[in-house]
Formats: sequence, structure tokens, C-alpha cells
Amino acid sequence: MGSSMRKKREKKRDFNKAKLKVGREKAKAANFTDTSFKSKSIVVNQGVLTSDGIDSAEQFKLNLSFCISARSDNQRREAVAYITNQISSNPPNNPVGTSGVLAKLLPLLSDASTSVRAQLLKLFRALPPAEVGAHVEKILMYIRGGMTHLSPDIRTDTLSVLDWLLDVAGDEVVSCSGGWLKTINSFSSMLGWNPNVGSAMTSKGWTTASKATLGTKKGPEAQARQIQALARFLEVGFKPEAPVPVKAAAYWDNIYRLPTTPNPFAYLNLFGIPRDEENEMYLDRGSRQRVFDIKWRATIAAGMEGARKEGGTVGRAAAALGRALNGGLDSSESGSGN
Amino acid sequence: MPKRKVAALEKVEADLVSLQYKIRRDPRSYAQEFYDQWLAYDAQRQIFVSSPATASNEDVKKFHDLVDLVAHVANLYPEITAPFPDHLKELLNQHHAVLDKELREKIVGSLVLLKRKDVIDSTSLLTTLFPILINTPSKTLRSLLYTKIISDLREANSKSTNHKLNRTIQTVLHNLVTSDKTSTKGMWACRITRELWRRQVWTDARPVDVMKEACLSDNEKVVVGGVRFFLGGDKEREEALEDDASDDDIDLKKVKHQGTINKKTKKRSKQYEKAIEKIKKQEKKKHAPHPLNFSALHLIHDPQGFAEKLFQKHLQNTKNKFSLENKLLVLQLVTRLVGLHKLTIISLYSWFVKYLSPKQTNVTSFLASLAQATHNLVPPDVIEPLIVKIANEFVSEASAVEVCAAGINAIREVALRQPLCMNDTLLQDLVMYQKSKDKGVVMAAKGLQSLYREVYPELLQKKFRGKQATMGLRSGEIKLRKFGEEEEGGIEGLELLSRYKEEQKKKKAAEEEEDENGEKKEKKDDDEEDDGFNSDEWEIGSTDSESSGGWIDVSSDEEDDGPVKKKARKHKGDDDGEAPDLVDTEKEDPAVEAERIAKLATTTILTPADLAKLQELRREAKLDKMLGTTQSKRKKELIAKHIEDGVTAEDIELPAMLGKKSTKEERVALAREGKPGREEHKSTQAIRKSKKEAEGKSTTNKEKARKKNFLMTIGKARAKNKRSLVETKKALTNHIAKSKQGGRRRNGV
Repeated sequence: MGSSMRKKREKKRDFNKAKLKVGREKAKAANFTDTSFKSKSIVVNQGVLTSDGIDSAEQFKLNLSFCISARSDNQRREAVAYITNQISSNPPNNPVGTSGVLAKLLPLLSDASTSVRAQLLKLFRALPPAEVGAHVEKILMYIRGGMTHLSPDIRTDTLSVLDWLLDVAGDEVVSCSGGWLKTINSFSSMLGWNPNVGSAMTSKGWTTASKATLGTKKGPEAQARQIQALARFLEVGFKPEAPVPVKAAAYWDNIYRLPTTPNPFAYLNLFGIPRDEENEMYLDRGSRQRVFDIKWRATIAAGMEGARKEGGTVGRAAAALGRALNGGLDSSESGSGN
Repeated sequence: MPKRKVAALEKVEADLVSLQYKIRRDPRSYAQEFYDQWLAYDAQRQIFVSSPATASNEDVKKFHDLVDLVAHVANLYPEITAPFPDHLKELLNQHHAVLDKELREKIVGSLVLLKRKDVIDSTSLLTTLFPILINTPSKTLRSLLYTKIISDLREANSKSTNHKLNRTIQTVLHNLVTSDKTSTKGMWACRITRELWRRQVWTDARPVDVMKEACLSDNEKVVVGGVRFFLGGDKEREEALEDDASDDDIDLKKVKHQGTINKKTKKRSKQYEKAIEKIKKQEKKKHAPHPLNFSALHLIHDPQGFAEKLFQKHLQNTKNKFSLENKLLVLQLVTRLVGLHKLTIISLYSWFVKYLSPKQTNVTSFLASLAQATHNLVPPDVIEPLIVKIANEFVSEASAVEVCAAGINAIREVALRQPLCMNDTLLQDLVMYQKSKDKGVVMAAKGLQSLYREVYPELLQKKFRGKQATMGLRSGEIKLRKFGEEEEGGIEGLELLSRYKEEQKKKKAAEEEEDENGEKKEKKDDDEEDDGFNSDEWEIGSTDSESSGGWIDVSSDEEDDGPVKKKARKHKGDDDGEAPDLVDTEKEDPAVEAERIAKLATTTILTPADLAKLQELRREAKLDKMLGTTQSKRKKELIAKHIEDGVTAEDIELPAMLGKKSTKEERVALAREGKPGREEHKSTQAIRKSKKEAEGKSTTNKEKARKKNFLMTIGKARAKNKRSLVETKKALTNHIAKSKQGGRRRNGV
């Protein structure tokens, strides 16, 4: 009898109704430790409470690693701010060099936290402009990745970074490998002026496919901002090159001196994978204009017309874009006239 | 700009999973979003490709997610994603050594996914994965690729055999094995071929050819892989088949029962339907004709050349540095081939001489291989020195009994296949060992004696021949087959069929006689009865009854000539025969009978009905045969068994085990076998009960009754006490009557 009772109880246990509790859970004690998980190994992040004993170089590196690895937004932001401080102090304290900082921090472009991104932009602005030029190609890759990011905030912030990059190294941006066509491609995709998508989808009829917006409030401000950035980018691309001052020794320098710029023969692409049209370097204004006329002018002009009709901030931005386009056209005509 | 409050949902912006879901729901509307992500993927890919080894974790993670997204929806935007498969292949080909582990797996998985979605085809997938499988140093990647390759090949062949793909892959494997004979890369060809052979995806001669090439490679590992395939691949395949059959049994009753008890939902009804479907499929499979799979050993092209090459390259070659174990494996394969295909490699036998001494490690394996390599077309004078050597080295009073038994048994195994290799003095000597004190030796010697009683009694001394052999010798039943002579083939049980047909004929004839007056009986006789026989029992055969009747007519016509011819030939044979004194001339009748029966097979066409009857008759006759003598049958079975499985060292060692006394531990282990394990002191009943409970089985009625709550039974018990005598009697008689009926459920009826 005893055993059967026990069994009955055991059987019953499955059908017992669990008591549901309503309301907020009781607050955990301050020293509560979660032991509900199992793990084969644990990783202890190395953090230091005091900053007395460490020399500044070490601390710089530590903060640099925090920028990426720290879990909390605040910590990351503070780490970025610390590095900004160090770089902008006089004399600047940067033990890893600009390239080290960039290599480490570029992934932060698509960081989830707005404050971190804002701080990052500040940091970029603090970098010595002369040293950025060598890394433009890499930075542009990240910028392009950010421009088509799912989150509209990241897209907008990325445009600010592009603005900064155009400020410090505009020529390199438009002339580096993939810098011209690919970036324009990203712009067009961002603005929705995209010939590729229409052809990719099989709707060949006169109706356009409905456009779903993925939680992105494409407000006029954001669009205007994007158009402005595009106008700026095109402006830089179509800017007439300043004539190189005549230097008597240039010929001999070319032959006997070591080049002063990094990767001076990049346009030959001696060691990389072969480039296609999009990845090609468009070194001078003429080639940029030519390829733009062939591939993008019609699309962008059409998009610009549409935007201009909208009026308001967008319309104003579109007008600026129109000026940039026309400027390119005029100067190319005048260039060809000369 | 004032600070904007961010809604909870908006925070999780980079949610590629939900984007993927939305794209799948409505690809046209989300084309723009996808294109954005495609660009992001492209940018991320460039970041990654620019420095794959030093890419930061963040980048790798992002790239990983984007690859995942694109792979899942690539089939919806074929134009945009056209270069995607090439990107992945390129990444994998160039950077597989430095890629992050998870990303690498994701890329491989994405490629497989693309294949599943028919974006790329199997051939391009496999030709991408295969070189990486061979070259990568990473073990995890290798195992991943291996499983993917195997599963893809299986899937490609699941509905119908994909000959084109198979041919491509087999060619790749073949080239892999033959291109670089010294490298271990051939191992992968071996592994893949063997696995697909085991799963019966590949069953033709091409994979066998790949393995053949592997056997002829220079690398020891590859050779062993190939050899093991030939020695064990087919058995493995059979076992896998059995496992498959027994694996997924569905208890339909249980499912049905669950259906009545559980809540009725769509899901459950679907489950039930699926179970029924599966069972139907299984039934179909069971009734389907057994797939005719040849063993790998039979599918080898040019076995003679193969065996010769193997022997020369790995065994005869003195520079070969294989370990003894592996050499033995190769030897087993060579001898298996020789025995199975009756090949002739004369130098093989002289090679054996060196290894036939009791000191040689694994000598029983060598002996078994020797036995395996012997067949009736091996010249006896090649084997005789070996037999003599075995006898000299192993069989003597001074040697250990196990050695002696193994030697005699080995000689017996060889002689079983080529009885002519023995001379009478040696045989005499060996047979005398049955007077030994050790049981193993005695059994081995007796085995040899009984073998020669069957195949070549003249060689034995008269007193060892035994009754049956002597009688058979006198009657001419036992005849020595000369070297190279083959036994005539025949259809087993044909004589039964002919006898049955004759009986039927007679029966029919008698009936006819009774029914009709015998006017035209004589003429119609044959046709009618055959017709009747066919249409009565076998509808299939009725159509060609005319022709079959005609055939039988012919045979019965010639019946008169048969005996005469036979007699003449027999006499002629006697004139130049080897044992004319022992042959009785009265023994014509069986010979005539045999002739007549053979005629039945050669002159009539056996209809399916005939064959079925033959089967039935054979089955009936088997019972008689069990009682009668089955002399030569035993020998045939023995040979057949060895040809199928080969001789093993255990076979040779077997008689030595006979006389051995087992140790106490062995006996205890033997007694314990099959009994429940008992950790603590517990009764057998208790153990059984707990086992039953653990299996989730119910208790017996008796047990239930015993465990029933006391309070439930007390009422009945009290009532019983108050019954009158008559009532008690009634109850008892009822009880007896009921139990006679077999209980309430009438078990007896």
C-alpha cells in the first residue's frame, strides 16, 4: 500500500496546477549571484580598478581594447572619449599610431549605441588629417557598409563620417579603388534611386512594386541629409584639379627618389586580385565624369528631379545636388572645350 | 535636435533574422532592403578579403550574419546574387586555413544550402568541397566537409541514381588515388568510397576500381584502407542493411491506441497519417525484390592481373617495409582472390615456404591464407612440398599439442580443396595421430581421415576407410576426380520433378481409362493429360501446354535409345577406367536415370509452374534427406562457406581449443552470460521486476490483485463470509466451469 500511494503521488505530480504569481518579482539582493547556468569554461574580462600603477601607453591600449570589447555602452563611450582626449592633447599621446587606432575602431562605425558613434566621430575629427589619407580605402569600405546598414540612425551617422573623410582626404576618397562607383552605388541604394532593383525584380509592367519601409521613418530630414552628402561627394569628384606647380626636379625625383606616398603604384594593381569596373580606380576628373555619365547620370538626375518636386528641405538639397551635377557637366564641357 | 525617445522595438535595429523572414514572405516589396543588405555584404566582404587573417571579431560576426541572410534568400533574387556562390567558393578555397571557425562552417553550410535551393548543382558543390577536404589541416573542418559530401551524395542518389554525378565524383576519386601514389590523400577516396558502398549508394564496378587502385598505391595507409574494404566492405554493407530494417519500426497499434486516448489535434492526426505512410513504405520495401548487389570481390575487373600485381608489389618485393599485420591483410586479400576466382599464381606457393614454421608470428593466419589460396586447379605438385613442410614443422610428438592440432587442421583445409596434394605415407602418418592423448589433435586427425574417406579413400589404409567408403568404393559411387576435372552441373531435385510428372501421367491415364471407353485413348493420351495437369493446378503454364506436351513426347520416344547408348559408353569407360575391379556392372539403372533426367532439363522448357513445383518437391524431400546420408553435401557446404567468407586463423586454431580446459573465470563468465547484472544483493525476481518497470511495462493481473487496496477488497471478503452453503457451492461450481471454458475470455476456444 505504501508504495502504491507513493506512486500515485508521483503520477499526480504531473497534473498539479502550478500556482501563478502576479506582480513584480522581488528584487534580488545586492550580492546575488546567478548560478542557473552551466558552462565548460568562463572568461574573466580583465578590468583594472585603479589607474595609478599603469603607464600611459598601457592605459591607452587598455582603453582601445575596451572600445570594442566592453559590454556596456557607457564604458565604450568613455573609452572612446579617453582616446579622443589623448590624441587631441598637446603633445598627442598615441602609442599605436593612427593606423592602429583606425584598425581597431572602424568596426565601431556600426555600433548600436548612438552616443558611441557620436563620440567616435569626434575622435576621427581629432586624428591628424595627414595620416588619414593612407587608410582611405579601408575607411570607405566601412562607410559603405554603414551606409546600407539596416538602422537609419547608423546610416545617418555614417554620412557624417563620410563628410569628415571628404574634408580631410577628398581626393583620395574619389580616386581610390572602388571609391567612386561603389560609393555612388551605395548612395543610390540608400536614396532608393536604384536601377538594379527594378531589373532584378521581374515586374516589367508600368506599375512599380510597392515599397516596404522597414521601420525606417524616411523622414524628409534624413533624405535631405543623404542628398546633401551625395551632392558633396559629387562636388569633390567633379572638382577641377589644381594644376600641379612646375617643379624642375620632379622628373629626376620620379626616377631616383623613393616615393613619399604609401603604395604609389596602386593603380597598377600589381599584387591584388584583378579589379572589375566597380572596383577600378578613377584617378582623374575626366575618367570619373565619363563613367558617371555612362552609368549614373540618368538615374541620379531622374531621382533629383523627383526630389526637387517635393520641395522643402529635400527640394533644397536636391537643388544643391543639381548644382553639383551641372557643375560637373559645365566644367567637363569647358574642359573639353579647352 | 531634441533627444528622441527610442521605442523598444526600434532598438533592435540590426535584426537580420526578421528581415529574412519578411523577405521570404514578400520578396518583391523588400527588394530594396535586400539590395541594401547585398551592398552591405559586399562591403563587408571586401573588408574581410583585404585582411582575412587579422579581421576583427566584430567584422567576422557581421560578415557571418550577412552571409547567412544572403544564402537564405539568394534563390529569390537570382540576378542580384548571381556572383554569391562564386564569392563563397573563392573565400573557402583561398582562405580556408585562416578563416574563423564559425564563419568557415557558415560558408560551408551556406554552400550546401544554396545547393538545396538549386542555386548551384551538386557537381559544383562537391568539386569545391572535395579539394578542401583533402588539403585542410583542420580536423573539425575535415569532419564537417566529409559529412556534407557524404550526405549530399546520398541525397543526390536518393530518388534515382544520379549516374552523371557519380561518374564525376568517382573519376575525381580515381584520379586522387592514382595521381600521387605516395601521399596519404588517397585515404579520403577510400573513406568516401567505403561509406557510400556501405550505404549502397554506389554498387557498381567503378568504386571497386577506385579501391583497386588504392590497393596498388605506395602508401601503407591507403593500401590498408583499400584491402580492408575488399575484406570487410560487403559484410559491413549487409549489416547496415539489417540495421536499417530493424531501426525504425513503428508500432502501429501503439500509435492507434494513443490516438484514441490523447487529445485529437491536427498535429496528431498528421502524425498518425505519417506513421501509416511510413509503414506502407516499409511494407513495399519488404516485398520489393532484393537488390541484386554483387560483392566487391566479384566486381573486380581483371582479378588475375590485380592479384598478381598485389602479390608482386606488396609481398614478393623484399624492399617493402609494411608491418606484418598489414602484410597479412594483403596476403588475405590475394589468397581470397585466388581462391574465389581460381587464379593461378604459382610463385605465391613457394613464397609461403618461408613463413610456415611454428615460430612465425601469426602463423595460423598464414596457414589459413594458404588454405584459402588452394583450389582444385592448383597443380598438386606445387602444394605437396608445403604440406610436407607443415607436417615436418608442426606435426610431431615433440611439438606442443596446439601446434600439432593447428598443423593437421591446416593440412586438412588444404586437402579439402585439393585432395591430390597428399601421398599415402604422409596421410597414414597424420591419420595415426588420432591415437594421441590430446583431444584437439585427435579431432584434427579424425577430421582429416573423414575427409579422405569421402574424397579419396584409396589413399587411406584399408582399416581406416570405414564401412561406407569401402562400400562406395566397391560400388563405384566414390570416384576420384582427376586433376582439372569438374563436376557436372545439374538442377537440384530435377529427378523429383520428373518422377512427379510421370506419376501424374499415370494417374491421368488410369482415370481416362475408367471414364471413357478406350477408342482413341492411345493417340490423345499425352496431350490430354498434360493439358489437364497444367490447367488444373497452374494457370500460368496452360498456354504453352501444347508445346510442353510435345517436348515430353520427344523425350519419351528417345527413352528406348537412352539405356543402350549409356550402356555402351559405360563399358567403354570400364575398359580404360582406373578401378575396374570394384565397379559393378549392375549399376546401370542410376546412370540411365541420370541421363533421362538430364534430358528433361535439356529438352523441355521448365515453366514457372514447373519451377514452383520443383521448389515444393525439394522442400518435401529435405525431410527424407535429413535421415539419409548426406555425405558429399557436407563437403560442398563446407567449400561454399569458405568461398563466401574465407578461411580465418580461428578456423585453423579451432581444434586446439577442443581439448582445453577453461579456467574458472571463463566458466564463471560463461555462466553469467545472459543473466541480469546484479550490483547489490537482490533476488532475481526483484531484478526482473525493476527492469520491467524501467521499460514502462505494466504489471500482471495477479500482481494488481495482490496490490489492491485492502479497503477495496474488504467488502467482498465480508460478503463472502456471510454466504450460505448453497451459494458457496454455486460459486465454486461456476468457478470450475469457467476455468474449464478457459476463463472469461475463453482462452481455450
